Amino acid sequence: MSEHADIQAPGLKLGEKPPRVPETLERMVGAGVMALLCLITFANVVVRYFTNISFAFTEELSVALMVSVALVGASAAFAMDRHIRLTFLVERLPVARQRQLELLILATCLFLFGLLTWLSARYVWDEYRFEVMSPGLGIPQWRYTVALPVLSAVICLRIMGRLVRVFRTVR
Amino acid sequence: MALEGSVILLGLFFGLLFVGMPLGVALGIAGVAVLWVEKLGIMAFPTNVWTGIAKYPLLALPVFIVAGMVFERSGVAERLVKFAAACVGNRTGGLAIVAVIVCMILGGISGSGPADAAAVAAVLAPAMLKQGYPRPYIASLTAAAGSTAILIPPSIAFIVYSVLVPGVSLNALFLGGMIPGILAGLSLLVPAIWLCKRGGFGLANPDDVRPPLWQTFKEAIWGLAAPIVIIGGMRSGAFTPTEAAVVAVFYGLFVGVFIYRTLDFAAIYKVLADSAEIAAVVMIIIALASVFAHAGSTVGTFDAAANALIAFTANETVMLLAITVMLLIAGMLIDGVSIFLVFLPILLPIAKTYSWDLTWFGIIMTMNIAIGQFTPPMAVNLMVTCKVAGCSMESTVPWVLWFVLSMLVALLLVTFVPEVALFLPRWLGDL
Repeated sequence: MSEHADIQAPGLKLGEKPPRVPETLERMVGAGVMALLCLITFANVVVRYFTNISFAFTEELSVALMVSVALVGASAAFAMDRHIRLTFLVERLPVARQRQLELLILATCLFLFGLLTWLSARYVWDEYRFEVMSPGLGIPQWRYTVALPVLSAVICLRIMGRLVRVFRTVR
Repeated sequence: MALEGSVILLGLFFGLLFVGMPLGVALGIAGVAVLWVEKLGIMAFPTNVWTGIAKYPLLALPVFIVAGMVFERSGVAERLVKFAAACVGNRTGGLAIVAVIVCMILGGISGSGPADAAAVAAVLAPAMLKQGYPRPYIASLTAAAGSTAILIPPSIAFIVYSVLVPGVSLNALFLGGMIPGILAGLSLLVPAIWLCKRGGFGLANPDDVRPPLWQTFKEAIWGLAAPIVIIGGMRSGAFTPTEAAVVAVFYGLFVGVFIYRTLDFAAIYKVLADSAEIAAVVMIIIALASVFAHAGSTVGTFDAAANALIAFTANETVMLLAITVMLLIAGMLIDGVSIFLVFLPILLPIAKTYSWDLTWFGIIMTMNIAIGQFTPPMAVNLMVTCKVAGCSMESTVPWVLWFVLSMLVALLLVTFVPEVALFLPRWLGDL
């Protein structure tokens, strides 16, 4: 992956196959949301300078979009093992051991994001039940926070996918 | 409760970190374990993940990453190199000087080290090899010079610090980082030129034609203007940091599409997709670290750890040196921004005890991290430049240590003479 020389973490080289559902999916969504973020922010600057209207209330929208970028990008990074991690010690182990360890690590990641999916779904459900409104635009807050459980679930699928791919290299 | 919780929190985190757990997950698991064992309310987990990154000031981070990437991919580095080469002229270590200068200018556009280092190494490596510079030297020098990007504004590290430490102004950090960043860059010139003379490479070649200064300046002016737009815009109060970042994005797009004609639709798409992922990898760690921080501060881990450190030595100088050593070692092992997330909760109470200026403290922490970025074995910058220069990380050790040493001298200067960092923001009224 020479084209990713500037994406920092090189990951472990365990020889697993690339994902069957290419991570291009998340990259496209990530790029789209990123473009939207830049456009909204730029529009804010232009509008503020050339008119005296302010639509700074879009801040909460930008913030929600930013959280989505974080989760979508994290999903792509899980698929390709590009998260920041300390691989210096693990790389000293024989590859077979590295693979076994990686299965445990991925299972732990899956546990954490599974828990996040479940708990954040409850969190969003509470916001829905109690009709929490957003401070800026006055729309239901759950419409923003729902990104958390949905995209965490996507991350879980990515972790599972890599778990299966690494598992296939073990046998 | 404090002791049990703290042992779980720190033990689990470091244990998981060393077996290669992704950093964010290690922080998250440790935080969740403490929430559960100490019955602090597990719903703090999703709440903190959301509130940890759903902050408007943090928006500067992804947008500055896009800005840096736009300029990197638009070929601004090549033009800056030509212009710098025309300015420096034909002298011993000329290209080494060019590398350092261009890294510092690019640092004024992009806020992350590896991207800066990679761009300069890619442009300069062929020319440097032709003049006999050894590959490990090229990798070491560009990695070290690229690390100034997180000191010279804009800087991803400063954005994260200002979000984590309430009351510290990002403008003051940006201004304060400028002089230490330039100092750090200039400090590299000493070993850079000395190594050239000792090794007998990169010597002045009388046959070389100096490129015409004016011509190269006209090409480079678009890139040279970018740091002025960014810093000037923020300084004059015209833009907030996020706005300055987005203006830089559109300015960069304009230059890349219409002036240099290097960016097409596919390239812009790649810029957006790559920066989304780079930003995401950092932000997911921030999100999960806020669970870690919440759990740690609730059970009192960080205060306990800070008190233990203070009990260990009451001497301020010894404490500063101990922190420097600790951060350098951490910087060798994990990447820069993550260090803030792990160490800030422990170091902030210490800084408050000694009533250190938090702007200055952020700057020396960042300088430490910058050094860690090119100190083997886990050096993100060096990893990237070794790939570009085509050598192994081990082969750089005899070279890179000189650069580490010289930047350490600059660091110690800023550590013991805080005004080096603080006079500029104080003078301009940001402190």
